[in-house]
Amino acid sequence: MDWQLILDVVMKLVAITVVFIVVLFVVAYTVLAERRILGFIQGRLGPNRVGYGGVLQPFADLLKFILKEDIVPDKSTRFIYFLAPVIATMAALMTMIVYPFGPETTIPFINKTIPLVVARFDVGLLYVLGITSIGVYGIALAGWSSNNKYSLMGGLRSSAQMISYELALGMSLIGVLLLSGTLDLAAIVGLQSRWHGSSWFIFAQPLGFIIYLIAAIAETNRVPFDLPEAETELVAGFHTEYSAMKFALFFLAEYINMFTVSMLATTLFLGGWNVPFADALFGRGTFLFGLISVLGFLAKVIFFLFLYIWLRATLPRFRFDQLMSFGWKFLLPAAILNILLTATLIVVGVYGYFGY
Amino acid sequence: MLALLFILFAALAVGCALAVVAQRNPLYSAISLIGVFISLACLYVMLAAPFIAAVQVIVYAGAIMVLVVFVIMLLNVEHEDSRRTRVGFLLPAALVLAAVLIAEVAFILVSVDKASFPSSSSSDIGSTASIGSQLFTTYLLPFEITSILLLMAIVGAMTLARRARELSPNARVIPGAQLLAANIIDPSKALDDTTAIETDTVAEAAHLLGITSPRDPSKRD
Repeated sequence: MDWQLILDVVMKLVAITVVFIVVLFVVAYTVLAERRILGFIQGRLGPNRVGYGGVLQPFADLLKFILKEDIVPDKSTRFIYFLAPVIATMAALMTMIVYPFGPETTIPFINKTIPLVVARFDVGLLYVLGITSIGVYGIALAGWSSNNKYSLMGGLRSSAQMISYELALGMSLIGVLLLSGTLDLAAIVGLQSRWHGSSWFIFAQPLGFIIYLIAAIAETNRVPFDLPEAETELVAGFHTEYSAMKFALFFLAEYINMFTVSMLATTLFLGGWNVPFADALFGRGTFLFGLISVLGFLAKVIFFLFLYIWLRATLPRFRFDQLMSFGWKFLLPAAILNILLTATLIVVGVYGYFGY
Repeated sequence: MLALLFILFAALAVGCALAVVAQRNPLYSAISLIGVFISLACLYVMLAAPFIAAVQVIVYAGAIMVLVVFVIMLLNVEHEDSRRTRVGFLLPAALVLAAVLIAEVAFILVSVDKASFPSSSSSDIGSTASIGSQLFTTYLLPFEITSILLLMAIVGAMTLARRARELSPNARVIPGAQLLAANIIDPSKALDDTTAIETDTVAEAAHLLGITSPRDPSKRD
């Protein structure tokens, strides 16, 4: 056997494992942060008893999920009922590998320069969109297989909502693609390293960014677009009949999706791992530069996660017809307008004048 | 390594395709079809055509099949019992088509010169940039004709969905909306008067229309 190949495969497996563990930790602490921040905004404390200030609460929750009884409805479609949470979690996790969370960095001690991305390929952005569109099956099939009217309504609503907002989401990214000319996420981040790492595409694409942000919230089924699980109307929506670990998987998928769309927003609009003027301070390629970049990436992602929690605490839910007419009659035309505007400005040469 | 992956995905594709035909539950068939599309996408990636693979997943597995699953869930078709009666003339037709397909594959395997193809690693045929430039230069006319065809399909779907005879021009159609048509609230109205009334209760709608409510608002449950 070829030792180089084996080494590469082992390196990839290690990278995937590291990313997986980091994602699970971030998700666990996003849940805790959400509960504490919601508590703060609503004038109460939130969970603060397990560990210092509640830092062990995610593990207590996990233990509870594992130990709870796993109830399967009698007349559910068994196989699909088991398959749905698996699809939801898998589709959420699969997109993690294409995001570049740091520049090429030389690791101390082993002196090996590695790119801080698990897999880099030509159509990274399309891969993300494709896998995200698979994720809708998890929710839709969960709703159908539970043999429960509320679940079915939740599943149908989520299918309709995700198909509608996927269009606006995809369209809002085309402006960035026109400017960068590539679908490779690492290359898109590389293009944003000019002006000492501050030529972020948000300055060139403010409209696209806002449309993406709104559509992304709808894609992840979060407040104010959480119609699939509207508890005032549908008990708990598509996961009404799910309990114990299977419910935990849906929960996990929702928070991973939040994390994913935050990472995509960071990568495409907020410059990815680019920290302004970090290269002037530390110099490109050094370990310190890599560390600062990874921390900058995480900080931007955490900003988006905070935004999500903040919105949840402040905004009321849409009505379903409002949701649909907003998506089709406002967001989609605005996204098309953004494409036309961007293309015109590129041809006229305005973007070229500003160095994009 | 590559051969192993090819066998894996090809077997998955064939297995899922068989399951599409063999399953009695339409939803199982639909899920198997999604499996076929995803396996095919994996095969496209191995053929150095990642763009085609991504589009295959986004368009077929992500959009079209969601609609199919959506419809199956809405209609809730559980079993199809009358399949045996229709299968009579389909069987010989299927055999003939299968024979044609096998003949085609045999022709390709035997008589096409394999050496004239570029190897998958050296060419950029499947890359996004080459597909884009080819689509807008060499194949511009077919591309434009296809887009006009799609536009016609959209317009056709629109005209079928909102029939001019039954819907008045000022009626609004919003999927999933809690809208009441005027002829539902007041039976004395003309049957084609489907002006949308956006209210919370029937009594409120009746008040808005200036007609008597079928129910006493004070005794509303």
